[in-house]
Amino acid sequence: MTADALTALLPFIVLSAAAVAVMLAIAIRRSFRLVFWLTVGGLLAGLSTLPHASPVAPLQVTDLLRIDAYGLFFHALFLLSALVVALLCLAYFRRRENENEEIFVLLLTSTLGALLLVSSAHLAMFFLGLEVLTISLFPMIAYSVRASRPLEAGIKYLLLSGLASSFLMFGMALVYGDLGVLSFEQIGAHGAELEQKPLALAGLFLILAAIGFKLSLVPFHLWTPDVYQGAPAPVTAFLATVSKASVFALLLRFFTAAHAERSETFLCVLGLLAVVSILAGNLLALLQVSLKRLLAYSSIAHMGYLLTGFVAAGLLRRDLQTETIAFYLAAYTVTSLAAFGAISALSDDDRESDRLSDYAGLFWRSPWLAAVLTLSLLSLAGIPLTVGFVGKFYVFAVGVQAETWPLVATVVIGSGIGIYYYLRVVLTMIQPAGVGQRVTLHPAAGTALAAAALVILAAGLFPQPLIDAAANVPQPPPTADSP
Amino acid sequence: MLKLLCLVPFLPLTGFLILTCSEGRLPRAYVPWIGAGSVGLSAALATSLAFELMTLEPDTRVFRQTLWHWMAAGDFGVDFAFYLDALSLNMLLVVTGIGFLIHVYSAGYMADDPGMARFFAYMNLFVFAMLILVLADNLPLLYLGWEGVGLCSYLLIGFWYEKPENGYAARKAFVVTRVGDTAMALGLFLLFSQLGTLDIQEAMSRAGAQWPAGSTLATAAALLLLGGAVGKSAQLPLQVWLPDAMAGPTPISALIHAATMVTAGVYLIARTHALFTLAPEVQTLVAVIGAITLLISGFSALTQTDIKRVLAYSTISQIGYMFLALGVGAWSAAIFHLTTHAFFKALLFLGAGAVILSLHHEQDIFRMGGLRRSLPLVFWTFLAGLAALVGLPFTSGYYSKHEILLTAYGAGSAGSWLWAAGTAGAVLTGLYSTRLLLIAFFGPERTPAHRHYGSNIAAPLVVLAILSLAGGLAKLPLFPALPETGTDQAGGSPSLLTTAAPFLGVAIGYLVYRTGTASAEALLKLPGSEALRRLWFSGWGMDWLYDRLFVLPFVVLARLNEADAIDQPYRGIVALTRLGHRLLVPTQTGQLRRYAAGMLFGAVLILAVGVWA
Repeated sequence: MTADALTALLPFIVLSAAAVAVMLAIAIRRSFRLVFWLTVGGLLAGLSTLPHASPVAPLQVTDLLRIDAYGLFFHALFLLSALVVALLCLAYFRRRENENEEIFVLLLTSTLGALLLVSSAHLAMFFLGLEVLTISLFPMIAYSVRASRPLEAGIKYLLLSGLASSFLMFGMALVYGDLGVLSFEQIGAHGAELEQKPLALAGLFLILAAIGFKLSLVPFHLWTPDVYQGAPAPVTAFLATVSKASVFALLLRFFTAAHAERSETFLCVLGLLAVVSILAGNLLALLQVSLKRLLAYSSIAHMGYLLTGFVAAGLLRRDLQTETIAFYLAAYTVTSLAAFGAISALSDDDRESDRLSDYAGLFWRSPWLAAVLTLSLLSLAGIPLTVGFVGKFYVFAVGVQAETWPLVATVVIGSGIGIYYYLRVVLTMIQPAGVGQRVTLHPAAGTALAAAALVILAAGLFPQPLIDAAANVPQPPPTADSP
Repeated sequence: MLKLLCLVPFLPLTGFLILTCSEGRLPRAYVPWIGAGSVGLSAALATSLAFELMTLEPDTRVFRQTLWHWMAAGDFGVDFAFYLDALSLNMLLVVTGIGFLIHVYSAGYMADDPGMARFFAYMNLFVFAMLILVLADNLPLLYLGWEGVGLCSYLLIGFWYEKPENGYAARKAFVVTRVGDTAMALGLFLLFSQLGTLDIQEAMSRAGAQWPAGSTLATAAALLLLGGAVGKSAQLPLQVWLPDAMAGPTPISALIHAATMVTAGVYLIARTHALFTLAPEVQTLVAVIGAITLLISGFSALTQTDIKRVLAYSTISQIGYMFLALGVGAWSAAIFHLTTHAFFKALLFLGAGAVILSLHHEQDIFRMGGLRRSLPLVFWTFLAGLAALVGLPFTSGYYSKHEILLTAYGAGSAGSWLWAAGTAGAVLTGLYSTRLLLIAFFGPERTPAHRHYGSNIAAPLVVLAILSLAGGLAKLPLFPALPETGTDQAGGSPSLLTTAAPFLGVAIGYLVYRTGTASAEALLKLPGSEALRRLWFSGWGMDWLYDRLFVLPFVVLARLNEADAIDQPYRGIVALTRLGHRLLVPTQTGQLRRYAAGMLFGAVLILAVGVWA
């Protein structure tokens, strides 16, 4: 292993070391505060390694990993998101009855899994990364074991994830059985003949089914509202952002490398999934009275929008596809962090603020928190001056340019329905019903929310820097060009 | 020094802001000082600006001040810019000068009103908007002022909003003038689309260069602007709102509905006179509208019993004279009459206000009487105002009205008809003025009057009385802002008849209402005369007509479409989405086995579509 390879692997090494260090620190002495700072230090150290890894990229490290700018963009996004989640965790778990320090270990390992996932170049690494991420998530979801809801959510996620992993494994086996290779690059070499190899094709579709589960695309979405609702709010924030974005980033990388992203049948299937996800997600969210469930359904719809952009841009140009996906994922991540962060910050020590009625009159009780939540909801709805608008604009622009009219029409309908239920939450917050007492905002949560809100607003007003960053993310290149 | 121009409108705005932001927490004693003081400073500043501007050579009496770029989009740009020439200076002096006197008067008139701070805030806002209107360098800014004064008029007519009829009158004024404003907005769009500029002076010169006289576009643009003018200035056919607008406090009637706002239409036509010169038919129409309006409202004034409504119809009639003047090209005479009318009509309203105050809000002239003895100051000043209104020689009204009528006589083939109408109107003016004076101020005392005013009410009356009598001498030379009127004023017998007409009216009035030689009761016994009186009293039945023509069909249509047909598709969409929601919700069972089955179903579906499709 060369020095370059070690430099390229630095983000993983630092993050693994941080996880181990935190674990050992807990073993020596339980100190919530110390563990938090260790975690933040680990995440910041991970971030600081990215500029060092970037000059050596793109670099293939063993058969398993490929470090390139595409991966590094998402590394930065995930590390920053994990930082925000760590802040939310500090505010959320600090006074809960439990042994709360391990949440940070799990946070670090799941972030590590997400980083591995987006950098994987091999089906084995794909599986490993996904499992590191997912297995860390089970205890995170069920972290408040004394409550029944988190436990139920954890078990549901565990079992259904197992099912999805079996799909994934079976799909990989089929691909290997038919093609005899496992690395993305070599699968890509067979890209042209895929249509004649039904077993490998079936394998790819099974892999897609597993990815569909992680992204909660309809009809693999049924777990989403239950798990979102049951998990502690900061964990939901992590689940909605890092977990989903890493899987989507992998989807793009894998199917591009496998030369499947231009196949008509693939785009057709993805388009179909996008349409049903948008419609079902938005319709299910329509009359929700639980804010976490509402956001869960909204995330289903948003994955549909993202898939629409994926399909439409795939029909146009590859670099546009990456740009669209990178921008939309970044926008969605920061917006979701703000939304779930607000829920997390509003939660009491013993119960979560989940029902819409908990938010009645929030504008009069805690105007700043209500403003952040409003901003994130407007961004989810795609209202101008927020980053969500620019993201949705991308989706519309590529859809119109690629003339994928059914998809564009679905996005329009979905956005229309979306505005209704997002604004319903805002209206609830304006109601003059100030039943609850004053809200005290922990400074950590306040910092996290302020940062997220600032990015939503700043990138909505001046989207150019983020657009440039997304446009400079090079397409994960298929090394072996197929005819 | 001229650079201080921008302060003239912004001082009243400051007053408005102070009064509004203090939300009535300001000590009561300070309110009139701020309200009247800000306008007083404006008036002083305007006076010094006037001296400075008028000492310049006539050709250079123009000052432009650009404050900031208001908006810019492509080649459409609007500046926040003021334009001061002799015409806008004349308006500036009237608005700030008369405005200041009325503010002082209001300090006494509204002294006991709980909403005094609100009153002065609206008044200051009005003065600001009116100054924006007259100083605007471009049409959008003029329109801003135009709508601003309309808003203030609405707010002040309905100032005593507890009474529903006041709110109704305010809405009526707003809606009726809105009809005219819409026409005016269309006119502005037309000018911009055709001439490519919104700058008033530039637009006028381009219109002269691009459009031949009598061309369709010039006619259309002039007609649309005229629509705005008749709405704001209460001329036929949109005059119906002004009599009802008397529901507002009397100082408002003096300031907005006599001296300043209602003459904005006259100012607009004078400001865009180049356009009206290009459309001779429209200009003739202006004269005809003025002539008809002055006659019909003169007849209506004859039958009113409410002192303020007499004055309101008189105002409509006098603005009719101004329109007549504009129509025959006597531009500066129109503005001159605007100025003198501002003096004497403000005086008459303020005098009427003093009477109303002294009689504990009694407005019916037939329940007054004998005020000559109980309110001598009001009587003498009122008399001065009436003399100017009637146009008795050597009063201010005489000079301006005389000039209008003689110019009309010499104006083309229709000139003698217009002159005849104007002269007949002068007879009517003499008649209804005499009737008002003799019934209210002479004869037996019907309601005991308690003198109920202090010096802040008396002083404006005296100042305005002096202006009404002598104001004719202080005519501001308006050339070159307005072209010189032709010198072909008729002399000889028309001049003599014009001078004699008011005396005829006064004589008839004296015979009927003083000596009883011919009694009004006897007149009413003639066949058909009672119906005629009712027709005149109701303002020629225009309210009734408009009610049938516009309001009723609108109400019927609204009733028919109570369950809005256009809403139905949207309700359908709502029902559809809710149905979709209800259909999908049962899939969310919370049962793990169903979720797993769902995933299996999805995987099969993907495989089916992907592999075997």
